[in-house]
Amino acid sequence: MTNRLTTLCMAIAMLLTGLCAAIAQDRDIPSILQEHAAIIAKGSRKTIEPAIVDLRDSGQVDAQMVLEAWQAKELWQRKADGQFFTTTKNEDNSYTLFDVITGSEVGTADKKELKQIKPNSGIRGMIGAALVQFQLMDADPAKRLDALTAIDRDPNPTHLPALRAAIDAEPDADIKETKIRLERLLTIAYGADEAERVAAIESFSDALSVDVRAKLNPILATTRVATATKSTANIAAQLTPGTDLSKEDAYALLVAADLAPAAPTQDEIRLALGDNIIDGRVGGQPIATLNTIEGREFAYEALADDGLVPPLVTADEMQWAIEDHLFYDVYDEPSKAVTDAAETTLQSINTRVGFNQALDLGLDGLSLASIYFLAAIGLAITFGVMGVINMAHGEFIMMGAYTGYVVQQFITDYTLSIIVALPLAFGVTFAAGVAMERLVIRHLYHRPLETLLATFGISVALQQIAKNIFGTQARPLTSPAWLDGAWVLNDVVSISYIRIAIFVLALIFLTLLLFILNKTRLGLEVRAVTQNPRMAASMGINPDKINMLTFGLGSGIAGIAGVAIGLFAKVTSELGSDYIVQSFMTVVVGGVGNIWGTLAGATMIGGLQKGIEFLNPSNTLAAQTYMIIFIIIFIQFRPRGIIALKGRAAGD
Amino acid sequence: MNRSFFAKNPSVLIFIGCLALFTLGVTLLSEAFGTGVISTSFVKTLGKTLCLCLIAIAMDLVWGYCGILSLGHFAFFGLGGYMIGMWLMYARTAQIVTTSMAEADIPPTAQEVTDAIGNQIFGVVGGSDFPLIWSFADSLTIQLAFVVLVPGALALVFGWLAFRSRVTGVYLSILTQAMTLALSLYLFQNDSGLRGNNGLSGLQNIPGAEDIPQSVISLYFFWASALALMLGYLLAAWVVSGKFGSVIRGIRDDEARVRFLGYSVEGYKLFVFTLTAVIAAIAGALYYPQAGIINPAEIAPIASIYLAVWVAIGGRGRIYGAVIGAAVVSLLSSWFTGGQVPSINLGFYTINWVDWWLVLLGFSFVLVTLFAPQGIGGLFDQLVRNRATPQRGGAPLGPDASALQEKEADK
Amino acid sequence: MMNKLLATAAVATVMGSAAYAECADPIKVGVLHSLSGTMAISETTLKDTIEMLVDTQNAAGGVLGCELEAVVVDPASDWPLFAEKARELLSVHEVDVIFGNWTSVSRKSVLPVIEELNGMLFYPVQYEGEESSKNVFYTGAAPNQQAIPATDYFLEELGVEKFALLGTDYVYPRTTNKILEQYLKDQGIAEEDIFVNYTPFGHSDWSKIVADVVALGEDGKKVGVISTINGDANIGFYKELAALGVSADDIPVVAFSVGEEELSGLDTTNLVGHLAAWNYFQSAEGEANEAFIAAWKERMGEERVTNDPMEAHYIGFNMWVNAVTDAGTTDVDAVRTAMYGQTFPNLTGGTAEMLVNHHLSKPVLIGEIQDDGQFDIISQTTEVPGDAWTDFLPESAVLKSDWKDLGCGMYNTETESCVQLKSNY
Repeated sequence: MTNRLTTLCMAIAMLLTGLCAAIAQDRDIPSILQEHAAIIAKGSRKTIEPAIVDLRDSGQVDAQMVLEAWQAKELWQRKADGQFFTTTKNEDNSYTLFDVITGSEVGTADKKELKQIKPNSGIRGMIGAALVQFQLMDADPAKRLDALTAIDRDPNPTHLPALRAAIDAEPDADIKETKIRLERLLTIAYGADEAERVAAIESFSDALSVDVRAKLNPILATTRVATATKSTANIAAQLTPGTDLSKEDAYALLVAADLAPAAPTQDEIRLALGDNIIDGRVGGQPIATLNTIEGREFAYEALADDGLVPPLVTADEMQWAIEDHLFYDVYDEPSKAVTDAAETTLQSINTRVGFNQALDLGLDGLSLASIYFLAAIGLAITFGVMGVINMAHGEFIMMGAYTGYVVQQFITDYTLSIIVALPLAFGVTFAAGVAMERLVIRHLYHRPLETLLATFGISVALQQIAKNIFGTQARPLTSPAWLDGAWVLNDVVSISYIRIAIFVLALIFLTLLLFILNKTRLGLEVRAVTQNPRMAASMGINPDKINMLTFGLGSGIAGIAGVAIGLFAKVTSELGSDYIVQSFMTVVVGGVGNIWGTLAGATMIGGLQKGIEFLNPSNTLAAQTYMIIFIIIFIQFRPRGIIALKGRAAGD
Repeated sequence: MNRSFFAKNPSVLIFIGCLALFTLGVTLLSEAFGTGVISTSFVKTLGKTLCLCLIAIAMDLVWGYCGILSLGHFAFFGLGGYMIGMWLMYARTAQIVTTSMAEADIPPTAQEVTDAIGNQIFGVVGGSDFPLIWSFADSLTIQLAFVVLVPGALALVFGWLAFRSRVTGVYLSILTQAMTLALSLYLFQNDSGLRGNNGLSGLQNIPGAEDIPQSVISLYFFWASALALMLGYLLAAWVVSGKFGSVIRGIRDDEARVRFLGYSVEGYKLFVFTLTAVIAAIAGALYYPQAGIINPAEIAPIASIYLAVWVAIGGRGRIYGAVIGAAVVSLLSSWFTGGQVPSINLGFYTINWVDWWLVLLGFSFVLVTLFAPQGIGGLFDQLVRNRATPQRGGAPLGPDASALQEKEADK
Repeated sequence: MMNKLLATAAVATVMGSAAYAECADPIKVGVLHSLSGTMAISETTLKDTIEMLVDTQNAAGGVLGCELEAVVVDPASDWPLFAEKARELLSVHEVDVIFGNWTSVSRKSVLPVIEELNGMLFYPVQYEGEESSKNVFYTGAAPNQQAIPATDYFLEELGVEKFALLGTDYVYPRTTNKILEQYLKDQGIAEEDIFVNYTPFGHSDWSKIVADVVALGEDGKKVGVISTINGDANIGFYKELAALGVSADDIPVVAFSVGEEELSGLDTTNLVGHLAAWNYFQSAEGEANEAFIAAWKERMGEERVTNDPMEAHYIGFNMWVNAVTDAGTTDVDAVRTAMYGQTFPNLTGGTAEMLVNHHLSKPVLIGEIQDDGQFDIISQTTEVPGDAWTDFLPESAVLKSDWKDLGCGMYNTETESCVQLKSNY
């Protein structure tokens, strides 16, 4: 439908182009603008066509400038006389007006007397397409690229010859390559003959990008038809009713093609019955019997026999009608050579797309895993190494994120502020962790279940305090410009830099923690206290100090995780509680007291969640639900997690 | 037997007496049957509080007596509410639909009636077909049975899996938390067939009781809640008073030792877990018709943690402690968040209780855990009796360091 | 803040003894907006708006010679608590009108209470329709005042042929998307060209979904996103869009729940050109709007922004004041009758009218996000009358709401009978 509309528009456009080119040759731009003042001011894509076409074909060199000004929302209209100007804003909020063509100052006006012409993005696209003929050979490479983008977005048949003419003279090698590629793409759709199009299609057999697929797929678009005789069109497939399409659909096709009478629906039957009530009876049946489908159809048939309503279509009649006809999927593209080439090419493309999608999914999973890992690793240390449940861990993450936000209020350079925020967040949460350990947890080492509750109390209080200080609105934590954007391998595989940064951060902490625990004195002491605090104490290690430092370390990492998570998502007081349960899952699934276990747990949960999301793309919530159910079942079979500690350290 | 039960547990009689007095008092002050000092909305609040007390008793049984810190009992509470809510919603909608369809000139088919009900119930969440789980929603009896059976079955299966693989302590807590999170996420989905985030609403309008004003209905529910609380209290007191009670307390203090003595620890735990789930479900089924709406946010993990908080503040291991904790904290909570508490002006800053109540609650909870592990109920005990405890010279009462310490037991 | 309010109230009461001599008790205006919990982010603003409006009205002499008093309660984003607090407002504080609610589920929660106690609620947020209560005036947009015009804009102005309907998993997106799906099919969009996805509240991991949307372009049709994503989940969504460089010219996104308030938590430089559809934008030109913004900023601070639900409250409150004045009483039934046909100038120009189906007629605006976090209004319709029951779903098309003449909010035009008088929540 929309396609047909576009074709129609295009036809009209070309017609107009021809006409206007003849008439408008000698008209100047202001008069064209005035002629179309109403539709320009209205700014609807449906009606704007003549204005753009007239400007484009005016033959005036200034047309390009005017169109560009219009596209950039720089045109203003004076309400009094409908004249168009470009403007600058003055100190006193009035506007100085300039002639659109000459740029000479023609007066000032108050804001109220003016109306800014704001073309919507649809119109801007059309203006861009109209500008192509000016810009393709423009001296400014940026404008040439603009023109290519405009063609890419909104191609039409006239672009093909213009583009071909512009290739040879292109000085810039990159742009030339883009032009050549675009020419091949346009040839697929608008090429003059079959051979040319087939060649263009086949030249893309090793492509992957969305725009190539976007040109190939429409060629393979099909329409489903029902015919009485064998079809001679370019057939994609012949359909067997009952297997390829349901009998109801097949019959509906017949009805749509006027090859069979429409069967009245239950609603129509009910309405027809309602319209034919005579003395409490319909078709001789009392109304009370009409509360079943059979009853209604019986009464309806009686009405049909009297010729009051169209007859029912019985199942047998439907079957006969279906058997008498043939059903096809027919290509909209008439040329079989083209469709065959497109099919072959697309098949090879799709294989590669599938492979790349798996890769992309893998990257997404890895990214999610690194986020979970970062959020959970601090917990793994406190929970795993010390056997202490810290429900306020999520709030430490939140504190880290808010630290990042506060730092950005003082240091406006985003790169510098992140560099400052990371150690500062570590410091803040380290201190908070140590304070909590000293004040609360130390007293509860014998009652692990109660640490859970006490830290929950702290979590509730911290969350509310954050709300009281920073408000409930989400706070911006903006990443530096060099972390904007994404690493794009191809049109299918891409991952944002911020996620890569988080991944790298996770790797750094993994290495750092492994190093601390395995290679330093502190790590040795931590491991000793973990395995047997009394023995460690008798060896001259101060378990109190070690516990305090371990707890601080775990909390500090949570702070850094907070900055990272805040950068890629949002900073709110509920940030922590969004991650706390997942973090627990990660630690428990991975196996307590083991950094490798946490890594395994995070990888499993992240991968699993993305996997389920892939299977059920329309419902992200389901992925989370089934992942948790999976974890519950998983723990049944490996109650100690993926990597379980063995021997005495397991603590039983 | 009966006499000795009450003789052994004088607190039961005291509690029932207090509850009866309280119920009578509320009735006499209510709008429906009394002076109207207590507004209908407050009667509803009190009725709901009684239901919360009931689930707190369940929590106390499973945690305070059996040592299983379940962070998922609100899942059962919510399920109970959903089960009764399905019937309330269906029956009310069916009434509306049949009345309106009777006015059409052609009588509706059974299918049309069902479709119209489905459309009314699920229209707001973008559906119209009845999911399978609504098959019995038209029968009050079956749904009432489901109130007990569905949460019971869930607890049985979950408990069996968890206890069989000897998941204990903190792991079990996290596992139960995962269970309630999974359930709430599942219910949040529209595909669950229980209206997703919207939940079931309008539950305070009881089908067939349209002519009874809410002031009376709320009192009926208040009585029912009081009765349920009394029965729940009796049941809990009876369960913990005999030999069974000794065994589950033994499990709490040292599971391995009880197992060595030849008791089927898993069986006992499973029984307590399932029983308390059923009590929680009954509490939920009474609660939600008073609240008027149930939705998945009600069973988010935080609710169950709060439940543990109530019991801890009230005092674990004593049933009245749980009741006191639930009543005090939830009533205080609604008082503070109601915006009626005067703000405190410190000169440089004004403490507005709507903002600071949670901070106060959080920290007071930490303080209770640290300094008064016995909770409010513990203070109570000290006032009422001064039972001599054996001197153990500071040794743990249980076999290892994580067992109850003597200095804690003395408090 | 609360303290300031109390102080104002105290001062007002002292003055009131002289100024409002003919009036024994102040007229009470209930405010039922969450001040804590997840919805506080949006609803606190509305509480402040009503307080500002009440103060302004009091400064102008109150209503019927009486002072207005705002009674604020906090339902704490807890849906059952909304019902409890509504009952408290109506039966304990005996307020004459309530301004409140944001989420649909909270509205559904208070409906039975409001209907039982015959209260009057002004609901200021765009919602999914399919409801008409005798006791509620819906001053926010119905789907035909926001979603449908925005979709038309996509179809006609941007030439979008393939749609991704992304939403947070709750009632408003569900119902809106159901209506939109049917509408798009009616407009000739094939079922396979409509991609629907629901995410939980506060969702932050958007990479997969954004990638899916980009991949929709592979069959050569122009893709557009209609977003009913709620609250702070939008931040992650837009960050991911910006990171992948999804330009508004390639894949435009129109949002129904993203306003000035939400954008203030975001750096919008990479989002320029994406769209939002509302009945109000802060950037609307007009003296009334300038005055409103100035008053708001003076009261709340320079950095604060105004948004659509605030305008809805502004219109609703003023209409209520006028209706009370016309009726000469605050009696709910009398005021309700006086509400029909009330008009009040919109902040965006034109006039809002209260229709007999308890909805407003309001213009629909479409704005493009700018780099300063404001919207550039690129399309504005004339006033569109709000429709309680959508015309695009077969089962709702036959329904209409007319509380004035038919006295029924759910009237079946086919059977010519009233389906129900009270809402089925």
